[in-house]
Amino acid sequence: MADLTVELCGVTLKNPVIPASGTFGFGREFDEIYDISCLGGVATKGIALTPWGGNPVPRIAESRGVILNAVGLQNPGVEKFIAEDLAWLKGKTRVIANVVGRTLEEYEGVCARLDGLVDFLELNISCPNVRCGGMAFGIRPENIEEVTSRAKAKCPHTPLIVKLSPNVESIARNAQAAERGGADALSLVNTFTGLAIDIERRRPILANNTGGVSGAGIKPIAVRMVYEAAHSVKIPVIGMGGITCAEDAVEFFMAGATAVQVGTQNFTDTRACPRIIAGLNEWCDAHKVERVADLTDTLQLNG
Amino acid sequence: MREITATVLENKRIADGVYSLTFATDEEIRVRPGQFVMVGVGGFPLRRPIAVCKADGERIMVCYRVKGAGTRALARDYRMGEKLSVLMPLGNGFFVGEREKRVAVVGGGVGIFPLISAIREYSKTRQVYAYMGFRNRAAVCMEYDMTRGEKLVVATDDGSVGYHGTSVQAFMQDVDTVKPDVVLACGPTPMLHALKTAMKGRKIPVYVSLEERMGCGIGACLVCVCEKTDGAHARVCKDGPVFEINDVVL
Repeated sequence: MADLTVELCGVTLKNPVIPASGTFGFGREFDEIYDISCLGGVATKGIALTPWGGNPVPRIAESRGVILNAVGLQNPGVEKFIAEDLAWLKGKTRVIANVVGRTLEEYEGVCARLDGLVDFLELNISCPNVRCGGMAFGIRPENIEEVTSRAKAKCPHTPLIVKLSPNVESIARNAQAAERGGADALSLVNTFTGLAIDIERRRPILANNTGGVSGAGIKPIAVRMVYEAAHSVKIPVIGMGGITCAEDAVEFFMAGATAVQVGTQNFTDTRACPRIIAGLNEWCDAHKVERVADLTDTLQLNG
Repeated sequence: MREITATVLENKRIADGVYSLTFATDEEIRVRPGQFVMVGVGGFPLRRPIAVCKADGERIMVCYRVKGAGTRALARDYRMGEKLSVLMPLGNGFFVGEREKRVAVVGGGVGIFPLISAIREYSKTRQVYAYMGFRNRAAVCMEYDMTRGEKLVVATDDGSVGYHGTSVQAFMQDVDTVKPDVVLACGPTPMLHALKTAMKGRKIPVYVSLEERMGCGIGACLVCVCEKTDGAHARVCKDGPVFEINDVVL
C-alpha cells in the first residue's frame, strides 16, 4: 500500500484525485454509484452569487476522442448551495467550491460568503461559454492579477486556487500573474474553445455555437501547459485535461502537479475516480514508490 | 441506479436504420416503463442514452436508431457475447395512477420504444389503446409487442400501411370514444407540440417523454436540460425524461 496522501496549501487530501468542476454536480448523484468519501476532494459545479440559468440546448457534442460542452454555468446560487449542497457534502471529503462571476464584485461576494465554510475556493476565470465574465477575466495577466487579489482579500481563511484557461498567449505569464495576485494554488487546464459542425444542417451542433473541448484528446497539450505553469511559479499546481487512468495522472504529477482533477472520464466511466485511485496505488507499488507525493516534478527533460 | 457490465445476447436490425439490442444483467434489475439506460460504446467518450423497450428479469431489450458514428459502432461491434458497460435504470419513467384504468399511448419514430414498455406493463391491469406513427411501411417494427392492449392503430406518413397520417391525428379521431384517463406520449418535438395543442382544454393528463443530448445521464452535469413553463430548467435525465405536457416548453 503506497501512501496516497498529498498536502495542498497546508490541507491534507487522502489522495490526489478530485472530480473536476462541472462534471460531478455537488457529488450527490455519483454517491448513488459509489461512496464519494473515497475521493481526495470534490470540485463543485461553479457557484455564482445568484442562480444562473445557463445556455440553451444542445449543450454537448462529441468529436473523436473529445467532447465539447457549453452548459453556461447553470447553478443554484451561493445561498442554495450552502443550505442544500454544502450541508450534504461537508465532512464527506474536501470541498473545493468553484466560484464564478460576471463582475469582480460577484467573485468577491461569493468568496466572502464561502470563506471559512469550505476547504478550498477555486476561482473559475476560464469558462469559455459565458459572454461576460468567466474567461473575460482569465486571458490577460493584468486582469488575472486583479481578480485574484480582489478575491483573495475576501477569503483570508480559505486557500484560493485560480483555475487557468488554456486559450491564452502564455500560460507561464498567466500563472505568474495569479501568483502575484495572491493565489495559493493553480489548477489547469480548463477547456479549449472549439467548434463542432452538423454538416447536414450546416450549423454548429451546440446552441452556443462554440464550446469547451475536453477529454482524452487534449491530454498532451494539458500536460505541457501544466509543466510550463508549474515551472514558472512556487505555488502548487493541480493538473487536469484528458485524464482517463492512473498512468495519465502519473504524467501530470511528473510534469509538476501536486493533485489532479478528472472531468470528462466521469461521463465515460462513472467509477473513473475510484478506479484511478486504486490504479495509482497499484502503480506506486509496482514501481516501488512509497509516497505518491514523491512523483511530483520528477520529469527529467532530454538534454 | 447501477453501473453494470452486461453481456450482449442479441443486436439485430429490426427496421430501416433501427436496431434492437438485448443484453443480460448479472442480476434482476427492476425497470419502470419509460426509464432508460446509458450504454458505453468503446472509443467514444459519451455513453448513448437509450429507452428500455422490454425488461424481463435479467434480460433487457433496448431499441435505437443508427444516427451517427457512435450508434453505427454499437450496431457493428457489439455481437452476441460482447461485454457492454451500462448505467441503469435511469430517469423517472411513466407513472399511471391506480384509478387511471384507460391508458392511451401515442408515439412517433423512435419514440415508440419507451411506449412499448408502457404497453407491456399497463396492459396487465388496464385497458391500453396504442397509436404508433412511422414514416412508411419499411420503418414499421415490433407490431407484435404493441398488440397487447385493447387496440393498436399503426399510422404512416405516406399511408403505405395503416392509417394515412400522424399518430396524433389517428388518436384525436378516437379520443372521444376511447375516453382515456391518461395519455402517454413520446416522439419528435413537432409531434408532441401537435398533441399538446390538440389536447388543450380536455382535462386529460398527458405525460411526454423527452429526448435530449446527454452528458452524465445521472443528473450531475446539467447538460440535458429542458425549459419548464415556470421558467426553471429541469434535467431531462434525472427529473425526467417524463414530464406533464403542460409543465414543459415544447
